[in-house]
Amino acid sequence: MNNSSPPCRWRSVNWLLLLLQWALGAHFLWMGISKALDPVTFLKLLRQYELTHNYILLNGIAATLPWLEALCGLLLLTGIALRGTALVCLAMLIPFTLVVVAHARGLSTQLHIPFCAVRFNCGCGAGEVWICRKILENSVQMILTGIIIWRPGGRRAVPPATEISGPVQNPKPDSLKEG
Amino acid sequence: MIKPILIEGFLVALVGLTLALGANAISPRGLSLSRNYFPESSEPTKGAGGGRNQPSLQPSHPDGTNGVRDRLLAKGLQIADALAAKAAFDDPLRLQGLVIFIDARGDEAYAGGHIPGSLQLDYYHPEKYLPIVLPACTVAQRIIVYCNGGECEDSEFSALMLRDAGVAAEKIFVFGGGIVEWRQREWPVATGSSDGAANPGP
Repeated sequence: MNNSSPPCRWRSVNWLLLLLQWALGAHFLWMGISKALDPVTFLKLLRQYELTHNYILLNGIAATLPWLEALCGLLLLTGIALRGTALVCLAMLIPFTLVVVAHARGLSTQLHIPFCAVRFNCGCGAGEVWICRKILENSVQMILTGIIIWRPGGRRAVPPATEISGPVQNPKPDSLKEG
Repeated sequence: MIKPILIEGFLVALVGLTLALGANAISPRGLSLSRNYFPESSEPTKGAGGGRNQPSLQPSHPDGTNGVRDRLLAKGLQIADALAAKAAFDDPLRLQGLVIFIDARGDEAYAGGHIPGSLQLDYYHPEKYLPIVLPACTVAQRIIVYCNGGECEDSEFSALMLRDAGVAAEKIFVFGGGIVEWRQREWPVATGSSDGAANPGP
């Protein structure tokens, strides 16, 4: 048995993670570009959260966040600086999810409706969303970024050839082939 | 293990932010970082009494837009309800450029449908439009500014911007119902992009 090669199920897991990483990258790229192309709308949506009264900071967030998001998407897709990128994604996802939840709680109280019945445009790039679905979506993304950061071999975007095609079974040395 | 990840993350963020600032600077849709897009003004409009001299443009009855009205009044802005806006539209003075409509929305929204003859003033990118709008405002006796209505505040901000640019406040009115209410009433709507010229429309 070759101890350096992962078992078949690990190869499957690696492939699954790779697909999820690509899906996450495509999602970030799409959301980032959709916001970057219309920064005014994103600025207006950010304003609803009352994050800051400093307009320079607010403008800065609205102007840079979508591009940063798109870059992270691109890096996740290409597998460059994978762990650092996942860390940046996580650093964007956690505070953003918290403010979205806080805003939704406010709307729930204000409108006297159940929390999961809250639907609004959170500025996520996908228009109006149901809050509970958004929380679920963001949670999955956070778990994925966490896995990318902490999984063994997480620096690699694509599993090496030995992991894809399976281990080479005890190749004979050249000197033995002739005889 | 943690330290390299942190360093890598820091570098990704640094490169990303640098690229983002560059992209924002060269993008025609980019934001101006130093501009306060949402001025909070509770200062009464100068010459607000002048507005009272034109009672046709003051709200005379509740029409379900009290929230909008309160918000506008809090900013010291004069208000035109839908009937007043329509009266201004039908006023023969409009054909002489003495009554003008200003659409405070972006290119796409303007092209999708606007009050015929309105001048476009994209509040977030006004540089292109002010050279046309300001002279027209100087000549005009009444200026009706609108956007989508409801929660849309771009018409209010545009009105404040015009006031700050030197347009007499008593001439400026915000049509709170905006294009949405105008459409709901099935009043005329023109489509197409702004050609920069004041076309009075039908």
